Amino acid sequence: MKIIKIGNTEINPTKIICLGRNYLDHIQETNAPIPKEPVFFAKTMNTLITNNNPIIYPKVLYDDEEKRSVDHEVELAFVISKTCKNVKAQNAEEYIQGYTIFLDMTARSMQKTDRKINLPWYRSKNFDTFGPIGPKIIPPEEIGDPHDLTIELSVNGSIKQSSNTKHLIFRIPEIIDYISKYVTLEKGDIVATGTPGGISPILPGDVIEASIEKIGAIRHEVILEDIINK
Amino acid sequence: MKLGDLEINPSKIICVGTNYMDHIEETKLEIPKEPVLFPKTLNCLITENQPIIYPKMLYENPKMNRVDYEVELAFIISKTCKNVKVQNAYENILGYTVFNDITARKMQIKDIFSKLPWFRSKSFDTFGPIGPRIVGVDEIKDPHDLNLELRVNGEVKQKSNTKYLLFKIPELIEYITRFFTLVPGDIVATGTPSGIGPIKPGDLIDATIEKIGTLSNKVILEGENENN
Repeated sequence: MKIIKIGNTEINPTKIICLGRNYLDHIQETNAPIPKEPVFFAKTMNTLITNNNPIIYPKVLYDDEEKRSVDHEVELAFVISKTCKNVKAQNAEEYIQGYTIFLDMTARSMQKTDRKINLPWYRSKNFDTFGPIGPKIIPPEEIGDPHDLTIELSVNGSIKQSSNTKHLIFRIPEIIDYISKYVTLEKGDIVATGTPGGISPILPGDVIEASIEKIGAIRHEVILEDIINK
Repeated sequence: MKLGDLEINPSKIICVGTNYMDHIEETKLEIPKEPVLFPKTLNCLITENQPIIYPKMLYENPKMNRVDYEVELAFIISKTCKNVKVQNAYENILGYTVFNDITARKMQIKDIFSKLPWFRSKSFDTFGPIGPRIVGVDEIKDPHDLNLELRVNGEVKQKSNTKYLLFKIPELIEYITRFFTLVPGDIVATGTPSGIGPIKPGDLIDATIEKIGTLSNKVILEGENENN
């Protein structure tokens, strides 16, 4: 377990759960079917970095032209406030400590190849630094309705993703209800709600800025992994 | 969490799929060209003698009602490492233990078929029994020559030897750390041999690996006797 400081709040997450395919426009751009129930997968703690820390572009991807494809995915995330299992949608808000921004960085061509041959969605999602989070955790009372927030991401100042959380297919109470049927959620656990359309590749040297209304913005430079200095 | 006399504080569990030739043949999967990795989340972990909770949502749904055992040799990471070379791999291992990669098989097959992630079928609470202790690298000179066995209610179901591992431990560490940083306490499970099969509430599962010991867990239905 790893303690991280997001703004003024320290959290100690045991897991990061991400939703896939939760905005219609992103489903269309990736040619995926519309899910009947939430699609979720895990990211591991080695992915987490906080605001202003660099996203490291893995050399193993950069050096292979077929794999040189890393995409940004901006997402509204929430942090769990207490241990819970089998939560009902109507009680879901009791278990939310607050909201933040999460970037679900994804090695896209690797993910596609792995899916094609029925392999898990794991390695493409879990390189070190592939989970920027921050800049702070905003409590539910300050957010009001989490399903009416503009969400945006730009690369080098040019807007790539621009949507609103009202377009989420599965809403936050349903997500907690669904996930907690499977796994116990612990205090500090992070759940990312999925990304809207507009995903695009990034490269070393790019600067990514992501913002969500009422939460703020995070900024990350992309740098190429330097294996020699490790 | 405490395994025998050692306390570990894992940040992740990485499992290797399809890593024994006999298991690959029985599941009709292709022989992988590189290790197949997936995570389990920490809510899976239980130790010796704690119950495996059989999820009610699987038990009550005939289309989903199959949960399998998978005995595996696991190793625990001793220090933070990235881009490890095969020849230095063992420097980063604290020791070895027994892991049971409990899997909701019908759900996994359905999800694989739909090109969905291997997550929910692998990460129900208590789906990762581990233990009974960690045996140091100095005590197990060759981790690729250990008998492993799994019994359900005393009947042998899986029986193999770690010499049949397709990707050996040093290769696994090199491969995994090309992608991810491993930190002290992290658990890597090396895959299961053939003989996988279902468990049901009431069963007693014993997983044994030579030189390590036996990990015993009873299966109970969710909502029943959870305090035992």
